[in-house]
Amino acid sequence: MKKGEALQALSPNFLRAGNSSSSKANGECILATQGGKTKREEPMRILRTFAVPALAMSMLAGSYATGHAENVKIGNIIPLSGPSATLGQQGKAAREMAVEEINAAGGIKSLGGAKLELVFADSESKPEKGVAEAERLINTEKVNVLTGCWNSAVTYPTTAVAERYGIPFVVPVSVSDKITDQGFKTVFRIAAKDSWWTRDQFSFLKDMEKEFGTKVERLAFVYENGDWGKGFAGQWKELAEKGGYKVVLDEPYPSTATDLSPVVQKIRRSKADVLMLVSNAADAILLTNTLAEYKVKLKAIIASGGGHADPSFLTATGKNAQYLFDIVEWETDVNKPGAKEANDKYKAKYGQNLTGEAVDAYVAMYVLKDALERAASLDPEKIREALAATDLSSGPGMIVGYDSVKFDTTGQNENASLVMVQVNDMGKGLERITIWPKAARRAGYTPVFPMPEK
Amino acid sequence: MYFIIEDAINGILMGSIYGLTAMGLTIIFGVLKVVNFAHGSMLMVGMYLAYWTVTLSGIHPYLAIVLVAPAMFLFGYYLQNIVIKPIFIAEKNVREPLTVIIVTTGIWYILDNITLLIFGPQYRGLADNPLRGQMLELGEMFISVPKLYGCVTAIVTALGVYWFFQKTDMGRAIRATSMDREAASLMGINQYKIYNVAFGIGAATTGIAAVTLVPFYNVFPTVGVLFDIKGFIIVVLGGLGSIGGALAGGIIIGLIESVGPQFMTATWTEAIVYGLFLLVLFVKPSGLFGQKHDW
Amino acid sequence: MTHKQINKAAFIVVLLIAFGLPLVIRSATYLHILVLLFFYAYLTTSWNLVGGFAGVLPLGHAAFVGIGAYTSTILFLQYGISPWLGMLVGGVLATMAGILIGLPTFKMRGAYFALATIAFAEGFRVIVENIDFLGPFNVNGPRGLQIPPLNTGLGNFLFTGKEPYYYIILIMLIAVLVLTWIISRSKLGYYLNAGGEEPEAAMALGVNVARAKLIAMAMSSFLTAMAGTFYAQFTLYIHPKSIISLDLSFEIAFIALIGGRGSIAGPILGALLLRPVGDFSRIYFGDTLPGLHLIIFGLVLILVMNFQPRGLQEPLTRLYNRLVQRITQKTTGEIG
Repeated sequence: MKKGEALQALSPNFLRAGNSSSSKANGECILATQGGKTKREEPMRILRTFAVPALAMSMLAGSYATGHAENVKIGNIIPLSGPSATLGQQGKAAREMAVEEINAAGGIKSLGGAKLELVFADSESKPEKGVAEAERLINTEKVNVLTGCWNSAVTYPTTAVAERYGIPFVVPVSVSDKITDQGFKTVFRIAAKDSWWTRDQFSFLKDMEKEFGTKVERLAFVYENGDWGKGFAGQWKELAEKGGYKVVLDEPYPSTATDLSPVVQKIRRSKADVLMLVSNAADAILLTNTLAEYKVKLKAIIASGGGHADPSFLTATGKNAQYLFDIVEWETDVNKPGAKEANDKYKAKYGQNLTGEAVDAYVAMYVLKDALERAASLDPEKIREALAATDLSSGPGMIVGYDSVKFDTTGQNENASLVMVQVNDMGKGLERITIWPKAARRAGYTPVFPMPEK
Repeated sequence: MYFIIEDAINGILMGSIYGLTAMGLTIIFGVLKVVNFAHGSMLMVGMYLAYWTVTLSGIHPYLAIVLVAPAMFLFGYYLQNIVIKPIFIAEKNVREPLTVIIVTTGIWYILDNITLLIFGPQYRGLADNPLRGQMLELGEMFISVPKLYGCVTAIVTALGVYWFFQKTDMGRAIRATSMDREAASLMGINQYKIYNVAFGIGAATTGIAAVTLVPFYNVFPTVGVLFDIKGFIIVVLGGLGSIGGALAGGIIIGLIESVGPQFMTATWTEAIVYGLFLLVLFVKPSGLFGQKHDW
Repeated sequence: MTHKQINKAAFIVVLLIAFGLPLVIRSATYLHILVLLFFYAYLTTSWNLVGGFAGVLPLGHAAFVGIGAYTSTILFLQYGISPWLGMLVGGVLATMAGILIGLPTFKMRGAYFALATIAFAEGFRVIVENIDFLGPFNVNGPRGLQIPPLNTGLGNFLFTGKEPYYYIILIMLIAVLVLTWIISRSKLGYYLNAGGEEPEAAMALGVNVARAKLIAMAMSSFLTAMAGTFYAQFTLYIHPKSIISLDLSFEIAFIALIGGRGSIAGPILGALLLRPVGDFSRIYFGDTLPGLHLIIFGLVLILVMNFQPRGLQEPLTRLYNRLVQRITQKTTGEIG
């Protein structure tokens, strides 16, 4: 019994729900150490503690107050904060530009000139936020279609939500094969699958070897240790085996590393001919600069878009990025009518060139417009059918390098193709120059392969 | 054979810079007995300060220390004075106010995201600074010049801080307070002013570290997070409150990161660093150079 | 009416509202938000067993969430074992991990303990990210595991609507609250508290503080792992960065701290107040002012710790008690 009493004296009052004589004494002590707050300050504290839930409640009420308009609502779930924020912002800008043009040209005529209305939601690059936002956009905002989510890891579960509700989901950018391989009926992807990217990277390499009579034997794979990087690396290994290459380095690295010189040292010592990279923006910059610092001699560096295609990449690396090869969906010099104008307009508005991902988002809006015109209805099933029957080959949106947007039975855009660019200076400063397929090559430019000694 | 030496040198250089970034953390922990979770964010603020100073005025990056270090000192001083001190006053009798961890986390969230709002998420780098990409070539080995500068700065700063704590009155007052709060205040030392100064010094050291990083590292709103966790690990490895320990801890981490990848992929060195951290915590929690504390 | 009677009445009313909400709120979005709210309340209450009662600051609980989620998901995807069973297996594994972690770390003081838990959680995350296969088990590294939404039903812990998830997590939450209440009144509760406040005195009285803390840790990790399974079955996709993240560990701890750790109502109050703030600021400001909700969260952290360091439950409890007293006086005044 004595032990119990002693312990009771030691334990504070807040474990017990009710009042008791011992708790009052403790309560006063607490007041004393807090600097003796007087009774007059109680109301202030009460006010303060209720401020947050009151704010939350009013926001709840406010959400019911938003009215419904006669527009077509397009929900967009993209990373507006977090590590992919720069890319999310580009996607937003591209969509806004497209929708502005579409609305100015009269909107959706078969729906009586209905305008397109964009609703954006921040995924923070987190799957659970993407899922929550999808639920909200479908159920509260009552969007008619969804687009998103840039990060493949966010796109998987989010498309599952759309599938459950039967809402069509257009994926402009996420490349992971799995997205269209899940058997979902409502998912339509514009970008090429990542197995196509890797396939094209190797075709390009073979073509370069032939064109310039240079043999390539030793390959080094260096890739970010995430979903994207590991996916590519797996396919590279298979393709290397088929192509008869020797893989001298297989090095995943953490994208958030603060120092990549150990990785660069490994590349240097592996005596590879060609280095293949999958990187996000910060590490792409770091790797490129470090490779230049260590004067690593390679015949070629082939990157995989993403970080290397980020607008800040060239500004941050400058001459170190010269002769780099990068594979992307689209480049500013693609030989298509309207491409240059669209890029100039975007650049004037937002200060940067369009990237492949931004163009995908832009095209996605026009694909949606085309589908809506044919569906002539806001019924999700009709929109879905219209999307499935898409065969879009002309119009202001078609600034992509390939001929038409056509979805196969899994929802994959079967014509999506890629181009290879090389970073070089044609007299106007460093820029990205389309070089492959040969038919798409910019006039007057011969690629440089292998890389000369700098 | 060359390889290991070259890697080891890089590890030592990079490691001493890591140590420099962690020095502020160990000072604050040693004196105030709290873990400053906003440490990474302070580094980030220092980096933005350094970046803008150099970009707007075109001076040599290291000269920016003249502006950045005092600015960071004031930043740290007032941050402690206004935001954190009230907690110390309220929890006078608690030896280690854990609520400070929470407040500093709040500061971390706020700083990182206000920076995101103001400056946007872009990666900035000092494009044309005299140190960029400079390498020293000794035979087959490459040594990065900016990292060399960083290492020298780290050692000089460490010596400077050590001298400050050993030889100046203020420094001795700070050490006294960190060893025994009550006794120090009995001697007439104003405990809270000491905390402010110590925090300021911690912030200033972090500012110097930021200047060392900017010539070869990108600046963006969440850059601090990468160095934050590493900082904690270094500080525990070296011993909380020990300046030399911070340098030593940093160098150990640098060596693991640079030499490790020769034997495994870079991604596993991360796991090894955590493993080592836990080992030290269990076997010798006071770290390599720390004193045994009664708390 | 006495104070006790009013308390009982209040509990019953709250329970009725909680169970009745899905009948009133039909929107799947709000149900989703509520489910996540209860989920966090459950996590913070489980955390409270160690972080509140035992007086230490564990900042790595997401590791247990991860153990639970991965265990049940792997067993379900590869061997078809029901997630309910997987939940229990995950709990047991987490308990073992928790005890292993607790044994050496409980000897450490405050900040060291916090840092050690962070290191465990991060180290665990890095390891999971790096392995594709752990023996015969497909962990799939950073690509994560996805549960296809087929074969729904209670046995498979998969449902098409939100309501079943709502009730499951609500029942789990109530169970954990009851458990916390029982412990707080038991000897274990007193031992933990004594050990937290005045360990030397407690040990002098013969209390095995270390053992008490380990028991608390074992329970906390078991319960937290169960939440991991729930999460996997609810969102149908897990990968290391989302489920073993430091953000999650921090959020759990800080919600409990703001609400008031060591109390029973604290963690729930914290979840009830902070989760909506995070969700709504993301909804309303996410596209114009990204990251704003984190700034708000940071401000709330600072303000609460400065003005109400024992958590918001303190003034709220006092308010509640005062209201109840006034009611008691009024009713006894009328009768007497």
